Amino acid sequence: MKTVTLDVNGKVFCLDVPDGELLIETLRDRLGFLGTKYSCLEGDCGVCTVLADGKNVLSCLMLTVEAEGRKITTIEGLGQKDLHPIQQAFIDEGAVQCGFCTPGMILASKSLLDAHPSPTQDEVVHALDGNLCRCTGYVRIVNAVLSAARKMKKTP
Amino acid sequence: MPILKDFRYHAPVGVDEALALLHKSKKPLLLGGGTFVLNTLKKTAAYPTDVIGLRKIASLHGIRDAAKEVTIGSMTTLAEVASSPVVGEHFASLAGAAACVATTPLRHMATIGGNVASRFFWVDLPSVLMALGAKVAWAGDKAKKTLSVEDFLSLTGPEARGIVTEVLLPKSGLTGVYFRHTQTMEVDLPLVAMAFAARRQAGGVKDVRCIVNTTLSRPVRLTGVASYFETKKVTEWKADEAADVLRRDLEQGKLDDYRLHCLCADLESLIDKFKKA
Repeated sequence: MKTVTLDVNGKVFCLDVPDGELLIETLRDRLGFLGTKYSCLEGDCGVCTVLADGKNVLSCLMLTVEAEGRKITTIEGLGQKDLHPIQQAFIDEGAVQCGFCTPGMILASKSLLDAHPSPTQDEVVHALDGNLCRCTGYVRIVNAVLSAARKMKKTP
Repeated sequence: MPILKDFRYHAPVGVDEALALLHKSKKPLLLGGGTFVLNTLKKTAAYPTDVIGLRKIASLHGIRDAAKEVTIGSMTTLAEVASSPVVGEHFASLAGAAACVATTPLRHMATIGGNVASRFFWVDLPSVLMALGAKVAWAGDKAKKTLSVEDFLSLTGPEARGIVTEVLLPKSGLTGVYFRHTQTMEVDLPLVAMAFAARRQAGGVKDVRCIVNTTLSRPVRLTGVASYFETKKVTEWKADEAADVLRRDLEQGKLDDYRLHCLCADLESLIDKFKKA
């Protein structure tokens, strides 16, 4: 067991976790951040995406002990009062169907837009290459990210 | 039920401390970015007693630009390599190769050291690094060495036990190109790839390195193809002749027709690129 101090969505948690515990297990099963999903657990699907220091990473491939010292953001950390512009754009563009991939898609989009506020369509596609969706066919998701980029640019 | 069985996790802050842990642990495992190692742990029966995380060793992070070479710390992520202005300026083929590895979140986690040290046949970077004449700084149980990528990849058994600390790239003014063919999968892995580097000179090229990643073996150096390009002017290069030489170079590899076809197409693109330049 190790005692770790985790910064998740701006709150600090002090936890005792087994050395081999994965971040996804800590986030979901200890802290109750259920927007981070279990699925392939191999780094293929992207539904366990979280932000680590602003970059989209896979919580199924990160030990909790290695997350110490990084700022972790889950989907619950976005739009804590009002919806984040990316979340709103996903609704407006009809980019959500079953919703299972949506938290990962939105966090990957945030990572992109924070680094590149005006991405091209190709850059959006490239940035979302680690997130699979089996409902929407991606077009509406890409449109939502481009739409969010335009809106976020207007309202800094 | 936990996904991984438990082990002791260590977070050394120096290479020597990590080596000491590696030496004294019963069944140690080094953890870089985690994208290979943690996936493997979910499936393996050969479980480590100790996992040694390299993330907190500051000297293994970052890209350092010196007069004659660029040094990339082994824990530098592939995303950092891909977006580095220094790497982009001097080693565009490496930046391009790093940018197309796997997926965005995996590139944010996976490291250049892990890509080389994994010794998996299907990874992208070793062939590109070989073409660019890169060396690997490696700290073993008994010695610290700087090896060519080829020599590093050929280490086996206890001899291979150690830590990749840096990748060193000489600023040799080579023009590099990387071609990659993928299978359609959740995470695009190369099916076959070719890394090429050469120094342009009046009407031709010299110092040609042509390395094929067959994904069925370690990268293969195509000496015949390199010699073909070096001994002719660019205007005399012919795709069908180069393809014949490539087939002879790869005779021992017994590559399937599809991979050979991809490589021949790459040679054609390469020749076009140099003729238009």
